[in-house]
Formats: sequence, C-alpha cells, structure tokens
Amino acid sequence: MPKHIILDTDPGIDDSLAILLALASPEVALDGISTIHGNASTAQVTRNALAILELAKASHIPVYKGCDLPLVKESLLSPETHGDTGLGYATLSEPLIKPQIKHGSDFLIEQIMSRPGEVTLVAIGPLTNVALAIRKEPRIVQNVKEVFIMGGAIKHQGNTTPLAEFNTFVDPHAAHIVFHSGMPITLTPLDVTYQCIFMKEDLERLQRIDSPITKFIADATRFYMEFHDEYQQIDGCVINDPMTLALTFMPEICDYQNLVVDVDVSTGVGLGNTFADFYNYEKKRPNMRVAMGVRPRMFMDLFLERIERLAKSIS
Amino acid sequence: MPPTRIIIDTDPGVDDALTILLALASPEIKLEALTTVHGNTHVDITTRNALAVLEFLHAENIPVAKGCSLPLLVPLHKSGDAVHGKSGIGNANLPDPKATPVETHAIDYLIERVLAEPNEISIFPIAPLTNIALAIRKEPRFAETVKELVIMGGSLRAGGNITPAAEFNIHADPHAAHIVFHSGIPITLIPLDVTYKCLLTSADVERLNNNNSPIARFVRDATAVYMDFYKKYEGFNGCALHDPLTLATVIAPDLLTFENHYVDVDISGGISMGSTLADFMKVSKKPANVKVALGVRGREFVELFLERMMSLRGGA
Repeated sequence: MPKHIILDTDPGIDDSLAILLALASPEVALDGISTIHGNASTAQVTRNALAILELAKASHIPVYKGCDLPLVKESLLSPETHGDTGLGYATLSEPLIKPQIKHGSDFLIEQIMSRPGEVTLVAIGPLTNVALAIRKEPRIVQNVKEVFIMGGAIKHQGNTTPLAEFNTFVDPHAAHIVFHSGMPITLTPLDVTYQCIFMKEDLERLQRIDSPITKFIADATRFYMEFHDEYQQIDGCVINDPMTLALTFMPEICDYQNLVVDVDVSTGVGLGNTFADFYNYEKKRPNMRVAMGVRPRMFMDLFLERIERLAKSIS
Repeated sequence: MPPTRIIIDTDPGVDDALTILLALASPEIKLEALTTVHGNTHVDITTRNALAVLEFLHAENIPVAKGCSLPLLVPLHKSGDAVHGKSGIGNANLPDPKATPVETHAIDYLIERVLAEPNEISIFPIAPLTNIALAIRKEPRFAETVKELVIMGGSLRAGGNITPAAEFNIHADPHAAHIVFHSGIPITLIPLDVTYKCLLTSADVERLNNNNSPIARFVRDATAVYMDFYKKYEGFNGCALHDPLTLATVIAPDLLTFENHYVDVDISGGISMGSTLADFMKVSKKPANVKVALGVRGREFVELFLERMMSLRGGA
C-alpha cells in the first residue's frame, strides 16, 4: 500500500524535483498539492505546480492555492536562487488545468481530518499554510500521520542570513507554531541537505534520456547551479526538497536524533534561526526527529534511478 | 441614516456581554453576527456565553460563528477567571442556550460576510485579534473589502492592565495584533487611555436595579465578580466599560476625541511584549495607520449606557 502524502510546496527548482520524485515513486501516492509563497509568489508557484504536473502527465492531481504572505513578517521571495519564474531557465507551457477553489490550508485540514492517521504531510516551503491550518483546526495535530519538513539549520550555517535557513526565515512565526504544535515532525535541515550535491555529471546522466522531463531538469538546474557557484562556491546544486520527500519512504538515507528544537522569533539578528537544545537541562520532551547524518550517494542513486524511469515513460 | 451594520468579534467576558446588550439596545446599530475567540476564557465557553446572551435578549436569530481556541504564538492566557468569573460572565447564571453556532469557522464566516458585501460591514473586535489576523492572511481581499475595524485594545499612555506595559487583548495575541495593525484596514482604536475613564460604579448598578428588570439584574450579577476584582486590585467601587465604549463610535461619537497616529505592537519577546506604542512625535516618519481615541467624556457615556439598559428588554 503506498503512503498517502500531500505536499505543501513553493516550486521552486528543488520543489519541482520533489514533485517529480513523488510521481516517480510507487511507495507514495501524491493525493494533492497545496502551494505557498516562498521561492516565488503564490500565484507564480501555483502556476508552476500545475505546469509540472502537466509536464509529467499527472494533471489529475489537484492543486490548491495557499497563503500569499507570511504571518507577521514582510514578504521575501528568492528570484536570485530560483529565477523570476521560480523555475530557473525552464519555460513550461501555460497550464491548461486550474487550481481548485478551496484554500490550501483548508485542503490540508480536509485531507487530514477525513482520513485520521493516514495522511503524511510533506511541507517543503515556508510553513504559513500549515500554521494557519493548525490554528483553525487544532485536531489536525492528533490526526496527521507524520509531518516531514524541509527547513532549518541546526549546526549548519544559514543560507539566507548567517544563522537562518530560507523556509524558516521567510515565516519564522509559522515555523514556531508548527514546531510547538505537537505534530510528529521529521525535520530535514541544511545539515544534511548540504551533503547531497546534484553534480553536472548527475545531470549529464539524466540527459542521456531524451524526454521533456530531463530537458526541464536541465534548464531549471542550470540556473540553480549558476547561483550555487556564484554565491556559495558549490560546484553543482543542493536539492533539499526531493531529499525530504525521499525520507518518507526510504528513512535509512539519514540518521536521526530526537531533539528539542526552537525557532527564534525575537526579531533580532537571530530571527528565523533554528536551534536544538542538545544539553536539554530542563529535560523538555523532544518535539521532533531531526536528520543529522546522511548517506548522500544512497539518496542520489535513488533520485537518479527514479527520475530516469519517469523520464523514459514520458516522451 | 440607516443603522451601522456590525459584526462583533468577542470573548464574553463581562464587558463583552454588556457590549452585546448595548448593541441590541441601540437603534443606530444593526448587529449582524457575533464571532467568538479565546481570551477572557476558553472559546467553548465564550461561544456558549455569546449564544446565551443572545437568547436572553430574544435575539437568537443573530448567528454566532466559533473561532480560534489559541493565540498564534504566545501561550493561552489563564488570567481571566479572577476578572470575569469561572463562567466568563461573573455570577450571571444564564440558562444553557438552545441555539448552536453556525457550521462555518469564524475566520471563514468573517471572510464570507465581508466579501459578499464589500465596504458594508464594520467589525468590532473586542477580544484578542486571532480570528481577524487569520482572516487577513487567508483571504487578501478581506483587508480591501472590510469597511473598518473598531478595536478595543492597547494602551498608549495609560500603562498596561496585564503587564506594566501591555493591555490584555493585545498581550493575549500580540502577533495577531501586529498583523491587523499593519494590514492597511481603516482602524479605530479604543485603548485603556479612554476606557478607564468610563467607570460603571456600584451606585450606578444599584440605581439601574431600582426598576427591577431582568436586564438590570443581569448587569448586577454579571458585573459582581468584575467589580470585586476592581476593588481588590484598583481600589475602586465599580468597573470600566472597556468593550462597550467601542460602540460610542457609532451611537455617540461626539463623546470621543481622536488623533491619527502610527501605532505598532511589540512582538520582540522582552518585558514590553504586547505593548502598543504610538509615534506621537512622528520620529519614524511612517504614515498614521490608526485613528485612536484619546479623549472621552466618560461620565456621559456611562449615563448613556444606563439609559439604554433601562430601555432594553430581556429575560423571561
């Protein structure tokens, strides 16, 4: 039986790769997508989600538009990382399908409450939709099966401020709500994602297959690799989001620690910083499982194999 | 002039209950609905109280939508019982209501009503601002189509009533207040600076009870615990009409004087967390976002309140 997952996402180059990995993986059934501001505006990422589903011949999967703005902070998008459209140099045709009428946060509530204990939420953007859903319907905390979050940097430096990772920096208040909600969370922070670099050689391997999927990945990641080269002196690019998705069905990619993790919402220089209380003098109960070690090749082999298989099926 | 159409977002609460009474006693106002939220007590109880007060006033046709049970980030306040009594409305023992809240969550109810009739509905939040903040974030058109907010909350020069710096409604969800104050919606603020000048005394309540009506008895029973609290903590024989004063903006605007200021909320987590600050000296150069009441003829408002209570019918 595949695991039922819903994806809350802001595609976004690595978000797109997570959507494709979900479609390529028989272990999971992608039941729907809710969209969120982040890498680009909500209107743009919603369009992108629809266009990627169409590209992968999966336009039966419903897309729900979510929040436009962070809860408290001003909006922050990342065109320098993902390009103005959110998808680098890729140009996907305008999608024929439209988003559903229901709001993204209501979709999360409806899915989780209609199938208690069955729905796995994978949140790979800023957490505004999830936070709003928790405050509107607190019972989703007890009824969601698991929550996989891409976000934070525990011992690793930040990628948006010296201390803060992008998703938690964009809406630290939403992250605070979600982290303290009591949901069963697995966090994928930069500590592990920065160990997994998608290299030019990996891209070349995919490009041996002539498919709209591999062409899209090449065009999208070329921009992403230029960004990593220019800003972070990394040869290749970090694909945070598909790794988070992979952990839903191949947990052995990472090693985990149960930790007490908090988010700085005090509006100083540490705003959006995620930190773990490793000493835990107050003996607080860990509020999440954090991926702190990773087998990078295990993930990359899985990713490449799955994408190759998907690409071969779509010409 | 047609009556002003309002939805009250509320956490009854003693002075919240008095606000519902005053709204229904005032022909200048058409009360369209109540939305409920955590605050003075748990949202299950504030919702029950909202329904019970409406039934007591034979106004059970007015819909009640239940809202959020928790503030956005800060922990739920647990200080209400000493002020508002265990029931939330002092010693008033209203029977359990027969009506139930509408199915729709308060956030969606507010959005639906406002979008259905743009620029027609005024919202009077007299509680923590969680519902309003989430309506703003969920539906961006909400801020453009709601006519105005008239908020009881904050304190600009009068000090706090829950911490030395902060007023209760704002302190109970400062992040929500921050969202609302920066939303661009036209806001009128009724802070402690004016509400503490509107004191209902025990002599007033006695005078009201001279005509021995169910309304007068309700006001007496509802305010009993509230007045004990004022006596104990503030050395005063009476209580402030915080929430009802918001309605003065409609029924007796001449009693208030206003100034336009840039007002912000401290969400930084320090000792002034939840305090409201006005840029009186215009040092930030930011445009005014709030019309704030800073003067009131308090005694006249209390007399008006008593007059309206004498004309109101309720109970068996």
